[in-house]
Amino acid sequence: MATELKTHSLKTDEMIINMGPQHPATHGVLRLIVNLDGEIVKHVEPVIGHLHRGQEWQGQNRTWFQYQALIDRVDYLSGMFTSWAMARAAEKVDGLVVPERAEWLRIIASEMNRITSHLLWLGTYLIDLGAMFGFPFYPFREREKLFVLLEEIAGQRMMFNYIRIGGVQRDPKPDWFKRLKEFTEDFPDRVDEYEAIVSENPIFLKRTQGVGILPKAVAVDYGVTGPTLRCSGVNYDLRRFKPYSMYEKLEFEVPTFSGDGDTQERYIARVREMRESNKILKQCLDMIQPGEIMAKKQVAGMRIKAGEGFEAVEGPRGVLGCYIISNGSDKPFRFRWRNPSFSNLSVLPELLVGHPIADVMAIFGSIDVIIPDVDR
Amino acid sequence: MGNASEIFKFTRLSIIWLCLIFIPVWLVAYAVGIFIPYFLIKDQQNIFFDVFQALVPIIAVLVFIPINAMFMVLFERRGLALFTVRSGPNRVGVDGLLQTAADAVKLLFKEDITPRGADIAMFTLAPITFFAPSVFAAIPLLAAVTNDHPLFHIVNLPTGIFYVLAASSVPVVGIVMGGWASNNKYSLVGGLRSAAQAISYEIPLVLSLVSMCMMAKSLDVVQIANQQAGGILDWNIFGGGALRGIDKFIALNLVGNTIDAKTILDAAYPSGILSYIAAGVLIVCSVIMFLLYLTGACAEINRIPFDLPEAESELVSGYNTEYSGIKFAIFFLAEFTNLFIVSSIAVVMFMGGGGNPIPAWLLDPWWPSFASSVGPMFDLVTAKGLMLVDEHTFFPALWVIAKTYAFVFFAVLIRGTLPRFRIDQLMDFGWKRLIPLSLIVFLVMAFARVLVNVHLVMPAGGAP
Repeated sequence: MATELKTHSLKTDEMIINMGPQHPATHGVLRLIVNLDGEIVKHVEPVIGHLHRGQEWQGQNRTWFQYQALIDRVDYLSGMFTSWAMARAAEKVDGLVVPERAEWLRIIASEMNRITSHLLWLGTYLIDLGAMFGFPFYPFREREKLFVLLEEIAGQRMMFNYIRIGGVQRDPKPDWFKRLKEFTEDFPDRVDEYEAIVSENPIFLKRTQGVGILPKAVAVDYGVTGPTLRCSGVNYDLRRFKPYSMYEKLEFEVPTFSGDGDTQERYIARVREMRESNKILKQCLDMIQPGEIMAKKQVAGMRIKAGEGFEAVEGPRGVLGCYIISNGSDKPFRFRWRNPSFSNLSVLPELLVGHPIADVMAIFGSIDVIIPDVDR
Repeated sequence: MGNASEIFKFTRLSIIWLCLIFIPVWLVAYAVGIFIPYFLIKDQQNIFFDVFQALVPIIAVLVFIPINAMFMVLFERRGLALFTVRSGPNRVGVDGLLQTAADAVKLLFKEDITPRGADIAMFTLAPITFFAPSVFAAIPLLAAVTNDHPLFHIVNLPTGIFYVLAASSVPVVGIVMGGWASNNKYSLVGGLRSAAQAISYEIPLVLSLVSMCMMAKSLDVVQIANQQAGGILDWNIFGGGALRGIDKFIALNLVGNTIDAKTILDAAYPSGILSYIAAGVLIVCSVIMFLLYLTGACAEINRIPFDLPEAESELVSGYNTEYSGIKFAIFFLAEFTNLFIVSSIAVVMFMGGGGNPIPAWLLDPWWPSFASSVGPMFDLVTAKGLMLVDEHTFFPALWVIAKTYAFVFFAVLIRGTLPRFRIDQLMDFGWKRLIPLSLIVFLVMAFARVLVNVHLVMPAGGAP
């Protein structure tokens, strides 16, 4: 009798939930097919491509001059870095030497862009954790100040098109540097403000500590880069590892953690990176000298010498690279992006399995993925 | 915090809206309770005389709830804007005064969509099941907040708080129904979460209120509120009346009645030093109970940090994902009504109901005369000794309104500050922390209560 009774156990099934593409927290149009056992995630499959615009193909069908304006759309939160990666690759192929002042301006604009990107991440990440209304608006206050400054030099708030092949588009007025200086002096206090609200918040710590652990080996296997990789114990930052532009002359730290990174460490790393970027901005403002800002004439029929080359920069999300083949005409012959978000997203299924559904967005938010950057 | 002009605008907006809420309620109550019976029917033997008077609480609540919810939505949005360096809605009407009225009109005219595969009967019943109990729960509280006014005396139940708790735990059925009937996985998960959460957090919530009932020896909300009259020292949050002896001691000393004062001190703390220690323990315990109540109430009404049933970043919108138009509006209405109800329960049970926070002995000579001269000025017509608003009702009502909206403001502040719990952490926190804590504190209070006399009778000829 007893053996017969054993067969009457409760039968449970896994439930499949489609998170996205229309979901308020997937940062755009990512679709996650999630298998749930109760509230525990058993399997995840990211479906990408909803935002595919054929950026590489567009590049091959436009002139160099035209495509420069489109590049910012690859990763709309860090347009300076996409422009810079492409400009560096094209300069390498063309054999251009960029004027020193242009390099400084590139660093200044990019680090400002890095801060705005991290600020947006900070705000939206807190939304992912459920702080729907309070905190997220504070980072946007400082972000707005930076956008006002960036708009003045680039003519646009997010789609800058500021860094061009051979230099930068425009030389800012002396007054602009003064205002940037004021910002850099004020900014650390504002970061202290964010940390006062968030860093010690018991619910925040409960939600982030030990959640979404990414071991070093897995991170390296999937080609994860950026703060997410550095939290997993790999000290890999292109600005240090393979210094480009003027980064050799600058003093800054790369926040790296020794253990397996969890979401709290990713938060700490990004907040520290904002402070370091601010430090870089201060140094740049002291070191910048007057001079030329452009080495190549910006005309519609601009040509790049025949050849091929790959160059990368350290973006806010990781290594952002650009591979170019030129046949000497006014259009790129072949074009290829290496996007940090794409490789970072690919590790997501490894991170999510075993966590409750509430952590899906917490972990997804912590690796800072931008969907247009994944889909191009 | 926003700048001074934003705070000024927010305050102005709140005051105008409070007038917009309470003047219609007052007029309707006056029309139904006094004008129709005394001026139109006149004959006190006529059955409709009593019927109209008995309808007053119900009609007052039905007028009050929608207007109040409209104000609270605006209050919340503007309040959040203050905390988050924004302006909030400020376009419709002066400073966005009519924003929520416009939103309500929009929601009423929106298409009411029923998803394919939904259980139509349940889908339609769910918002009603969610909303109706909050109306029921609000009615007995009216007796407490109007200081047992004759017109509202009819709703004063001897088991008031028991009834309110029973009624306010029904809405979760509506949430589960809505989640199940929507034929949507997000809704289902949201509805089930809501059930789990309501069961876990109701226990500390009820225990905290029961402890106060134990101190007051009553379930009657009017009686509990009236016991706390006489200033902040008499409020239940400070030991459920453990300071009452000291309060009365000071009051009697101030009028020079030192003999009675000594007697009352001995009556209040019969076992000497042990009683004083017990009083201290009671104060600590009741503050803990108050915090437990706030936590449980936040969870009960699904507010951040316990808004898991409608966790936007995980479940789109939880149990009300599929609702639109008028049904969504009813869900929305009920949510804010529940917030108001838990706030007013907190005011009645812990914060002295309609009592003045300043101790009576500080205000003694001038306040009672001021209240009795100013209070009646707010009545329209005195009808055969029955006034709608008098000195026993006007100021208590003002205090209740002020304290309740202070609680609502506190809830807004929490919403603007904290992230959300995860469901397993929520359960751990509820079952492993709050419930044992509330049980232990309740036991300690039960023992400490024996040593302190919280029901004091003032000697004849003493201070009020």
